[in-house]
Amino acid sequence: MPGDIKDLYRQVSLAWYFALSDTYARYKHSVLGPFWLVLSTLIGIGGIAFIWGTLMAADSETFVPSLGIGLVLWQMISGSVSGAAKLFVFQATVIKNIKTPSWRLSLQLLFQQIINFAHNLVLVILLYAIFPHTLSPLILLAIPGFVLVLLNLYWVVQLLGFLGARYRDFDPLVTAVMPLLFFMSPVLFRGHELGSRAFLMKLNPMSYWINIIREPMLGSVPHFSDYLVSIAMVIVGSALAMWVTRAKSHRLAYWV
Amino acid sequence: MARVSLDKISVEYPIYNAGAFSLRNNLVAIGTGGRISAEARHIKSVMALEDVTLELNDGDRLGLVGHNGSGKSTLLRTIAGIYQPVRGSVEVEGRVSTVFGLGAGLQPELSGYDNIIRMSMMLGATRAQAEAAIPDIEDFSELGNFLAMPVRTYSAGMSMRLNFAVATASYPEILLVDEIFGAGDAEFQVKAQKRMNEFVEKASIFILASHSEQLIKKFTNNTVQLRHGRIM
Ligand SMILES: Nc1ncnc2c1ncn2[C@@H]1O[C@H](COP(=O)(O)OP(=O)(O)O)[C@@H](O)[C@H]1O
Ligand SMILES: [Mg+2]
Repeated sequence: MPGDIKDLYRQVSLAWYFALSDTYARYKHSVLGPFWLVLSTLIGIGGIAFIWGTLMAADSETFVPSLGIGLVLWQMISGSVSGAAKLFVFQATVIKNIKTPSWRLSLQLLFQQIINFAHNLVLVILLYAIFPHTLSPLILLAIPGFVLVLLNLYWVVQLLGFLGARYRDFDPLVTAVMPLLFFMSPVLFRGHELGSRAFLMKLNPMSYWINIIREPMLGSVPHFSDYLVSIAMVIVGSALAMWVTRAKSHRLAYWV
Repeated sequence: MARVSLDKISVEYPIYNAGAFSLRNNLVAIGTGGRISAEARHIKSVMALEDVTLELNDGDRLGLVGHNGSGKSTLLRTIAGIYQPVRGSVEVEGRVSTVFGLGAGLQPELSGYDNIIRMSMMLGATRAQAEAAIPDIEDFSELGNFLAMPVRTYSAGMSMRLNFAVATASYPEILLVDEIFGAGDAEFQVKAQKRMNEFVEKASIFILASHSEQLIKKFTNNTVQLRHGRIM
């Protein structure tokens, strides 16, 4: 039905406009705006590269690009996940006063994270400039990986959004678990460097997401299984998120 | 053809106590086989509307009156599709616009102009429609150069003028208004009522919740009295 498609288009452009406009607001608030985030990522890369480099005597030629891209991806993943549980509660005034589909609010958070990621790409370019050997045509393979990760983040945001609206202690729980997930992710290591403890990473869904984007960016092909797991997560997770949305949308305005 | 049809609707607000909002308590409740659950999760609810039936067609102008807490706001929000009734059915045909919770989507760091686009889009306009409404909003709000300034520099009255101008910039088929003539100086009140007049004239169906007999008389041709969530 054309009416439905028109409404879909309107909702998506609304989410995009608000994500962009919130970004402008951050520029208005401080000159650096979202580049504060870039700066903090940069400091993170510098700090960890220095400490880890000394501790583990890692080869900086391979370690620093892997860490840098890993942290940039982590920002996007953790930004989406951490923002999700408080998303609907933050938007309570909107939800209670204007008929608003919850999926649009989730999409807006995702767009916001994509915009932040775009800022952080400055660091990726910097890394390639310093370590040019890392760059290869394989990087094109990062694009389908990126799309898969966004699809995953989308259902995660929607699902955690509902959980966070219904259970108010869910958001602090997510905040508490994030550092653990960070250490269980391949940001500080690449899978093959972990040896017998690699299974810890396999327990973390985010590891697969980081691999399918970062490996091509570092010039290697991700494991086929990383794709399979990510695709399976999209299917199962989206089904779950859709089911919760169908079943609980009419309760959301009462919860927030 | 616009139409609003409510058939014996009841709306309940669940009152969750702190325990019911806690995941930990809910998990404990499952873990203890639900023995604690009855207490920890006990969910009371407030019946805000009960067995409300209402049928409105093109040309209807309805005033909702009743004491505080009688369910006027809940009724408007239910018609707008924000709250779903626990019983009964709601059928609405036509584009609904709401004049309550003014200022949704406002971003104080941004200019008045940016916020016109944001709030208009939030209320259902496309980007192009929002841009097209700017001259009219400039005209009515009389904010002049302030429109280029961040909204956080506005006084309460100025924000009110902006929000009201945006909310009344496009003509909906079904217009729902909840107690808005509170803020602003006397001069603005007069202007707002005049604009309201045009706005109401163009709407197919209009519902106004208000305590002011004068407003109800001026804008509506039929009233419904609510008491404790029931139509009297
Ligand atoms: N968010 C809410 N949570 C719980 N109860 C509410 C909420 N909003 C309204 N109520 C209750 O519902 C009833 C109707 O309220 P409302 O529709 O706001 O009345 P009115 O607009 O006529 O003053 C009141 O008893 C009020 O306490
Ligand atoms: Mg009210």
